Amino acid sequence: MTRAPYRIHKLIQDLMRDPAGAAAFARDPEPAFEAYGLTDEEKALLRDGSAAALHRLGVHPNLQMKYGRLRNPPPAAGASAGGPLAAYLDRLMEH
Amino acid sequence: MGRIVGGFATSHVLFPPAGVEAQAERVLQGMLAIRERIRALDPDLIVLAGSDHLNTFSLAMQVTLAVGVADAYTTLGDGGAPVATFAGHRAFAEGFVRFAAGRDFDLVQVEEVRPDHGMAIPRMIADPANRIPVVPVYINANMPTPPSPGRCYRLGGVLKEFVEAERPADERVVVLGAGGLSHWLCLPEQGRVASAFDEDFIARMISGRASELAALSAEDILNASGNGGLELTAWLFMAGGAPDAVGEKLYYEAIPEWISGMGGVSLIPRETRA
Repeated sequence: MTRAPYRIHKLIQDLMRDPAGAAAFARDPEPAFEAYGLTDEEKALLRDGSAAALHRLGVHPNLQMKYGRLRNPPPAAGASAGGPLAAYLDRLMEH
Repeated sequence: MGRIVGGFATSHVLFPPAGVEAQAERVLQGMLAIRERIRALDPDLIVLAGSDHLNTFSLAMQVTLAVGVADAYTTLGDGGAPVATFAGHRAFAEGFVRFAAGRDFDLVQVEEVRPDHGMAIPRMIADPANRIPVVPVYINANMPTPPSPGRCYRLGGVLKEFVEAERPADERVVVLGAGGLSHWLCLPEQGRVASAFDEDFIARMISGRASELAALSAEDILNASGNGGLELTAWLFMAGGAPDAVGEKLYYEAIPEWISGMGGVSLIPRETRA
Protein backbone atom coordinates (compact mmCIF):
# COMPACT_ATOMS: atom_id res chain seq x y z
CA MET A 1 0.00 0.00 0.00
CA THR A 2 1.29 3.44 -0.86
CA ARG A 3 1.38 6.05 1.87
CA ALA A 4 -0.13 9.45 1.40
CA PRO A 5 2.15 12.46 1.75
CA TYR A 6 2.00 13.72 5.30
CA ARG A 7 0.40 17.02 4.20
CA ILE A 8 -2.79 15.09 3.40
CA HIS A 9 -2.79 13.32 6.74
CA LYS A 10 -2.04 16.62 8.45
CA LEU A 11 -4.99 18.29 6.74
CA ILE A 12 -7.35 15.60 8.02
CA GLN A 13 -5.86 15.52 11.52
CA ASP A 14 -5.90 19.31 11.84
CA LEU A 15 -9.55 19.54 10.78
CA MET A 16 -10.52 16.81 13.29
CA ARG A 17 -9.38 19.18 16.02
CA ASP A 18 -10.83 22.38 14.51
CA PRO A 19 -14.66 22.43 14.47
CA ALA A 20 -14.84 25.81 12.69
CA GLY A 21 -12.33 24.71 10.09
CA ALA A 22 -14.20 21.44 9.63
CA ALA A 23 -17.49 23.29 9.08
CA ALA A 24 -15.86 25.52 6.47
CA PHE A 25 -14.28 22.45 4.83
CA ALA A 26 -17.64 20.69 4.58
CA ARG A 27 -19.01 23.74 2.72
CA ASP A 28 -16.00 24.20 0.44
CA PRO A 29 -12.82 22.13 0.67
CA GLU A 30 -10.87 24.11 -1.94
CA PRO A 31 -9.32 26.72 0.40
CA ALA A 32 -7.98 23.97 2.65
CA PHE A 33 -6.62 22.06 -0.33
CA GLU A 34 -4.75 25.23 -1.32
CA ALA A 35 -3.55 25.98 2.19
CA TYR A 36 -2.00 22.52 2.55
CA GLY A 37 -0.24 22.79 -0.80
CA LEU A 38 -1.89 19.79 -2.43
CA THR A 39 -1.13 18.91 -6.04
CA ASP A 40 -3.84 18.94 -8.69
CA GLU A 41 -3.91 15.13 -8.69
CA GLU A 42 -4.24 14.98 -4.92
CA LYS A 43 -7.04 17.55 -4.99
CA ALA A 44 -8.89 15.59 -7.67
CA LEU A 45 -8.65 12.33 -5.70
CA LEU A 46 -9.78 14.03 -2.50
CA ARG A 47 -12.71 15.68 -4.33
CA ASP A 48 -13.62 12.21 -5.59
CA GLY A 49 -13.36 10.92 -2.02
CA SER A 50 -14.27 7.32 -2.93
CA ALA A 51 -12.62 4.39 -1.18
CA ALA A 52 -10.67 3.68 -4.34
CA ALA A 53 -9.47 7.28 -4.62
CA LEU A 54 -8.42 7.49 -0.98
CA HIS A 55 -6.70 4.13 -1.22
CA ARG A 56 -4.85 5.29 -4.31
CA LEU A 57 -3.63 8.29 -2.37
CA GLY A 58 -2.54 5.98 0.43
CA VAL A 59 -4.60 7.70 3.09
CA HIS A 60 -4.40 5.86 6.42
CA PRO A 61 -7.52 3.69 6.85
CA ASN A 62 -8.60 5.36 10.09
CA LEU A 63 -8.16 8.78 8.49
CA GLN A 64 -10.14 7.70 5.41
CA MET A 65 -13.13 7.25 7.69
CA LYS A 66 -12.58 10.64 9.30
CA TYR A 67 -12.17 12.27 5.89
CA GLY A 68 -15.52 10.86 4.84
CA ARG A 69 -17.15 12.45 7.86
CA LEU A 70 -15.39 15.76 7.21
CA ARG A 71 -16.73 15.86 3.67
CA ASN A 72 -20.21 14.66 4.64
CA PRO A 73 -20.78 15.39 8.32
CA PRO A 74 -23.34 13.05 9.87
CA PRO A 75 -26.39 14.74 11.34
CA ALA A 76 -25.92 15.54 15.01
CA ALA A 77 -27.69 12.89 17.04
CA GLY A 78 -27.23 11.24 20.38
CA ALA A 79 -25.77 7.76 20.36
CA SER A 80 -28.98 6.38 21.77
CA ALA A 81 -30.97 7.80 18.90
CA GLY A 82 -29.68 5.38 16.34
CA GLY A 83 -25.99 4.74 16.72
CA PRO A 84 -24.52 1.33 15.91
CA LEU A 85 -25.09 0.11 19.48
CA ALA A 86 -28.73 1.18 19.69
CA ALA A 87 -30.10 -2.36 19.49
CA TYR A 88 -27.89 -3.51 22.36
CA LEU A 89 -27.54 -0.55 24.70
CA ASP A 90 -30.22 -1.56 27.16
CA ARG A 91 -28.41 -4.82 27.78
CA LEU A 92 -24.87 -3.43 27.54
CA MET A 93 -25.54 -0.76 30.13
CA GLU A 94 -26.89 -1.28 33.61
CA HIS A 95 -29.50 1.12 34.80
CA MET B 1 1.79 -10.17 45.93
CA GLY B 2 -1.09 -9.36 43.67
CA ARG B 3 -2.38 -11.81 41.10
CA ILE B 4 -3.70 -11.78 37.58
CA VAL B 5 -6.81 -13.85 38.24
CA GLY B 6 -8.14 -13.97 34.72
CA GLY B 7 -7.59 -12.86 31.15
CA PHE B 8 -10.22 -12.11 28.55
CA ALA B 9 -10.27 -10.89 24.98
CA THR B 10 -13.03 -9.64 22.76
CA SER B 11 -13.82 -7.79 19.58
CA HIS B 12 -14.49 -4.15 20.35
CA VAL B 13 -17.34 -3.22 18.03
CA LEU B 14 -20.97 -4.06 17.47
CA PHE B 15 -23.08 -3.06 14.49
CA PRO B 16 -26.82 -3.07 13.88
CA PRO B 17 -28.27 -6.58 13.79
CA ALA B 18 -30.33 -6.09 10.61
CA GLY B 19 -29.81 -9.09 8.36
CA VAL B 20 -27.56 -10.94 10.80
CA GLU B 21 -29.86 -11.10 13.80
CA ALA B 22 -28.91 -14.55 15.06
CA GLN B 23 -25.19 -13.93 14.78
CA ALA B 24 -25.50 -10.50 16.39
CA GLU B 25 -27.32 -12.04 19.32
CA ARG B 26 -24.65 -14.72 19.77
CA VAL B 27 -21.96 -12.03 19.72
CA LEU B 28 -23.81 -10.01 22.35
CA GLN B 29 -24.33 -13.10 24.51
CA GLY B 30 -20.62 -13.87 24.23
CA MET B 31 -19.78 -10.37 25.37
CA LEU B 32 -22.20 -10.66 28.27
CA ALA B 33 -20.59 -13.99 29.21
CA ILE B 34 -17.29 -12.14 29.52
CA ARG B 35 -19.02 -9.68 31.84
CA GLU B 36 -20.37 -12.48 34.03
CA ARG B 37 -17.02 -14.20 34.27
CA ILE B 38 -15.22 -10.98 35.16
CA ARG B 39 -17.82 -10.24 37.79
CA ALA B 40 -17.37 -13.71 39.31
CA LEU B 41 -13.63 -13.07 39.63
CA ASP B 42 -14.35 -9.92 41.68
CA PRO B 43 -11.32 -7.96 40.42
CA ASP B 44 -9.92 -4.87 42.15
CA LEU B 45 -8.67 -3.54 38.85
CA ILE B 46 -8.92 -4.16 35.11
CA VAL B 47 -5.98 -3.67 32.78
CA LEU B 48 -7.61 -2.94 29.43
CA ALA B 49 -5.39 -3.35 26.36
CA GLY B 50 -6.44 -2.08 22.97
CA SER B 51 -5.92 0.49 20.29
CA ASP B 52 -6.84 4.08 19.68
CA HIS B 53 -8.12 4.80 16.17
CA LEU B 54 -6.18 8.02 15.51
CA ASN B 55 -8.54 9.94 17.74
CA THR B 56 -6.17 10.94 20.55
CA PHE B 57 -2.97 9.54 19.10
CA SER B 58 -2.07 10.73 15.62
CA LEU B 59 0.40 10.38 12.81
CA ALA B 60 2.04 13.59 14.04
CA MET B 61 3.71 11.53 16.77
CA GLN B 62 3.31 7.83 16.26
CA VAL B 63 3.05 6.29 19.71
CA THR B 64 2.73 2.51 19.71
CA LEU B 65 2.85 1.34 23.34
CA ALA B 66 1.46 3.64 26.02
CA VAL B 67 -0.16 3.44 29.44
CA GLY B 68 -2.89 5.70 30.76
CA VAL B 69 -1.78 7.01 34.15
CA ALA B 70 -4.64 9.45 34.76
CA ASP B 71 -6.99 9.37 37.74
CA ALA B 72 -10.06 9.30 35.49
CA TYR B 73 -11.03 9.11 31.83
CA THR B 74 -13.93 10.43 29.83
CA THR B 75 -14.66 8.42 26.71
CA LEU B 76 -14.94 9.97 23.28
CA GLY B 77 -18.48 8.83 22.60
CA ASP B 78 -17.83 7.31 19.16
CA GLY B 79 -18.95 3.92 17.86
CA GLY B 80 -22.31 4.31 19.53
CA ALA B 81 -20.91 4.14 23.06
CA PRO B 82 -22.36 6.94 25.18
CA VAL B 83 -19.83 9.30 26.75
CA ALA B 84 -18.89 7.88 30.13
CA THR B 85 -16.38 8.68 32.86
CA PHE B 86 -14.49 5.93 34.63
CA ALA B 87 -11.72 5.78 37.20
CA GLY B 88 -8.11 5.03 36.37
CA HIS B 89 -5.48 3.85 38.84
CA ARG B 90 -2.47 6.15 38.94
CA ALA B 91 -0.37 4.19 41.43
CA PHE B 92 -0.75 0.95 39.50
CA ALA B 93 -0.20 2.57 36.11
CA GLU B 94 2.86 4.62 37.06
CA GLY B 95 4.28 1.69 38.97
CA PHE B 96 3.87 -0.55 35.94
CA VAL B 97 5.62 1.96 33.68
CA ARG B 98 8.55 2.26 36.11
CA PHE B 99 8.77 -1.50 36.51
CA ALA B 100 8.62 -2.04 32.75
CA ALA B 101 11.44 0.46 32.21
CA GLY B 102 13.62 -1.90 34.22
CA ARG B 103 12.61 -4.72 31.86
CA ASP B 104 13.61 -2.85 28.69
CA PHE B 105 10.14 -1.49 27.87
CA ASP B 106 10.03 2.31 27.69
CA LEU B 107 6.30 2.98 27.77
CA VAL B 108 4.72 6.34 27.04
CA GLN B 109 2.74 7.68 30.01
CA VAL B 110 -0.53 9.28 28.99
CA GLU B 111 -2.29 11.84 31.16
CA GLU B 112 -4.77 13.06 28.54
CA VAL B 113 -6.69 10.67 26.36
CA ARG B 114 -10.32 10.30 25.38
CA PRO B 115 -10.72 6.53 25.08
CA ASP B 116 -12.55 5.80 21.84
CA HIS B 117 -14.77 2.82 21.04
CA GLY B 118 -11.73 0.53 21.11
CA MET B 119 -11.59 0.95 24.88
CA ALA B 120 -15.07 2.28 25.68
CA ILE B 121 -17.07 -0.68 24.36
CA PRO B 122 -14.95 -3.36 26.07
CA ARG B 123 -15.05 -1.35 29.29
CA MET B 124 -18.82 -1.15 29.06
CA ILE B 125 -18.92 -4.92 28.53
CA ALA B 126 -16.64 -5.58 31.49
CA ASP B 127 -18.05 -3.17 34.04
CA PRO B 128 -21.16 -1.28 32.96
CA ALA B 129 -21.61 0.36 36.35
CA ASN B 130 -18.08 1.84 36.36
CA ARG B 131 -17.23 0.26 39.70
CA ILE B 132 -13.80 -1.11 38.85
CA PRO B 133 -10.77 1.13 38.13
CA VAL B 134 -9.28 0.59 34.68
CA VAL B 135 -5.68 1.02 33.55
CA PRO B 136 -5.68 1.49 29.77
CA VAL B 137 -2.69 -0.03 27.97
CA TYR B 138 -2.53 1.27 24.41
CA ILE B 139 -1.25 -1.14 21.81
CA ASN B 140 -1.66 1.02 18.75
CA ALA B 141 -1.47 -1.64 16.10
CA ASN B 142 -2.73 0.81 13.48
CA MET B 143 0.46 2.87 13.49
CA PRO B 144 2.44 2.66 10.25
CA THR B 145 5.05 0.60 12.07
CA PRO B 146 3.16 -1.46 14.65
CA PRO B 147 4.71 -3.20 17.65
CA SER B 148 5.58 -6.85 17.05
CA PRO B 149 3.31 -9.59 18.38
CA GLY B 150 6.21 -11.00 20.36
CA ARG B 151 6.89 -7.69 22.06
CA CYS B 152 3.24 -7.30 23.04
CA TYR B 153 3.20 -10.84 24.45
CA ARG B 154 6.39 -10.19 26.43
CA LEU B 155 4.95 -6.93 27.78
CA GLY B 156 2.07 -8.97 29.18
CA GLY B 157 4.65 -11.08 30.95
CA VAL B 158 6.19 -7.94 32.43
CA LEU B 159 2.74 -6.93 33.69
CA LYS B 160 2.38 -10.30 35.44
CA GLU B 161 5.82 -9.92 36.98
CA PHE B 162 4.95 -6.41 38.16
CA VAL B 163 1.64 -7.47 39.71
CA GLU B 164 3.30 -10.34 41.56
CA ALA B 165 6.38 -8.39 42.66
CA GLU B 166 5.04 -4.98 43.56
CA ARG B 167 1.31 -4.97 44.06
CA PRO B 168 -0.35 -5.41 47.43
CA ALA B 169 -1.20 -8.83 48.70
CA ASP B 170 -4.59 -10.05 47.55
CA GLU B 171 -4.97 -7.48 44.77
CA ARG B 172 -6.95 -9.19 42.04
CA VAL B 173 -6.24 -8.05 38.49
CA VAL B 174 -8.13 -8.95 35.33
CA VAL B 175 -6.57 -8.29 31.93
CA LEU B 176 -8.88 -7.65 28.99
CA GLY B 177 -7.48 -7.45 25.46
CA ALA B 178 -9.71 -5.79 22.89
CA GLY B 179 -9.84 -5.74 19.11
CA GLY B 180 -9.81 -8.11 16.12
CA LEU B 181 -10.43 -10.56 14.78
CA SER B 182 -9.72 -10.55 11.04
CA HIS B 183 -10.85 -7.47 9.18
CA TRP B 184 -9.61 -5.32 6.37
CA LEU B 185 -10.60 -1.73 7.13
CA CYS B 186 -10.68 0.71 4.20
CA LEU B 187 -8.63 -1.62 2.04
CA PRO B 188 -9.67 -3.27 -1.24
CA GLU B 189 -10.23 -6.56 0.65
CA GLN B 190 -12.77 -4.93 3.00
CA GLY B 191 -15.56 -7.39 3.72
CA ARG B 192 -13.30 -10.43 3.66
CA VAL B 193 -13.25 -12.47 6.88
CA ALA B 194 -10.43 -14.99 7.42
CA SER B 195 -12.44 -17.39 9.55
CA ALA B 196 -9.90 -20.23 9.35
CA PHE B 197 -7.19 -17.92 10.67
CA ASP B 198 -9.51 -16.59 13.36
CA GLU B 199 -10.57 -20.05 14.53
CA ASP B 200 -6.97 -21.24 14.65
CA PHE B 201 -5.94 -18.12 16.58
CA ILE B 202 -8.68 -18.72 19.14
CA ALA B 203 -7.89 -22.44 19.40
CA ARG B 204 -4.24 -21.74 20.15
CA MET B 205 -5.09 -18.95 22.59
CA ILE B 206 -7.31 -21.16 24.72
CA SER B 207 -5.06 -24.22 24.70
CA GLY B 208 -1.99 -22.59 26.19
CA ARG B 209 -0.29 -22.09 22.82
CA ALA B 210 -0.35 -18.31 22.57
CA SER B 211 3.45 -18.27 22.51
CA GLU B 212 3.22 -19.81 19.04
CA LEU B 213 1.08 -16.87 17.91
CA ALA B 214 3.54 -14.48 19.52
CA ALA B 215 6.21 -15.88 17.19
CA LEU B 216 4.32 -14.51 14.17
CA SER B 217 5.54 -11.24 12.71
CA ALA B 218 3.27 -8.23 12.43
CA GLU B 219 3.42 -8.73 8.68
CA ASP B 220 2.28 -12.37 9.04
CA ILE B 221 -0.79 -11.26 10.98
CA LEU B 222 -1.43 -8.34 8.62
CA ASN B 223 -1.30 -10.58 5.56
CA ALA B 224 -3.47 -13.30 7.09
CA SER B 225 -6.06 -11.21 8.90
CA GLY B 226 -5.92 -7.65 7.61
CA ASN B 227 -4.98 -4.36 9.17
CA GLY B 228 -7.73 -4.82 11.75
CA GLY B 229 -6.43 -8.28 12.57
CA LEU B 230 -3.29 -6.64 13.90
CA GLU B 231 -5.41 -5.60 16.88
CA LEU B 232 -4.92 -9.20 18.01
CA THR B 233 -1.63 -7.98 19.48
CA ALA B 234 -3.82 -6.83 22.41
CA TRP B 235 -4.98 -10.44 22.83
CA LEU B 236 -1.34 -11.51 22.91
CA PHE B 237 -0.54 -8.92 25.57
CA MET B 238 -3.32 -10.45 27.66
CA ALA B 239 -2.06 -13.98 26.99
CA GLY B 240 1.45 -12.96 28.02
CA GLY B 241 0.03 -12.07 31.41
CA ALA B 242 -1.41 -15.57 31.81
CA PRO B 243 1.22 -17.82 30.24
CA ASP B 244 0.12 -21.08 31.86
CA ALA B 245 -3.56 -20.45 31.38
CA VAL B 246 -6.05 -22.41 29.38
CA GLY B 247 -9.44 -21.12 28.56
CA GLU B 248 -12.62 -21.12 26.63
CA LYS B 249 -13.97 -19.77 23.39
CA LEU B 250 -16.90 -17.60 24.44
CA TYR B 251 -18.02 -16.69 20.95
CA TYR B 252 -16.92 -16.57 17.34
CA GLU B 253 -18.88 -15.38 14.35
CA ALA B 254 -17.62 -14.53 10.89
CA ILE B 255 -19.79 -11.59 9.85
CA PRO B 256 -18.87 -10.15 6.44
CA GLU B 257 -21.76 -7.70 6.81
CA TRP B 258 -19.84 -6.20 9.73
CA ILE B 259 -16.60 -6.59 7.74
CA SER B 260 -15.15 -8.55 10.65
CA GLY B 261 -14.51 -11.80 12.40
CA MET B 262 -16.00 -11.35 15.85
CA GLY B 263 -14.79 -13.34 18.82
CA GLY B 264 -14.02 -13.57 22.49
CA VAL B 265 -12.15 -15.86 24.84
CA SER B 266 -11.36 -16.37 28.49
CA LEU B 267 -8.03 -17.52 29.92
CA ILE B 268 -7.94 -18.70 33.49
CA PRO B 269 -4.52 -19.12 35.14
CA ARG B 270 -3.73 -22.32 37.01
CA GLU B 271 -3.82 -20.67 40.44
CA THR B 272 -7.30 -19.33 39.80
CA ARG B 273 -8.54 -22.71 38.59
CA ALA B 274 -7.11 -24.48 41.62
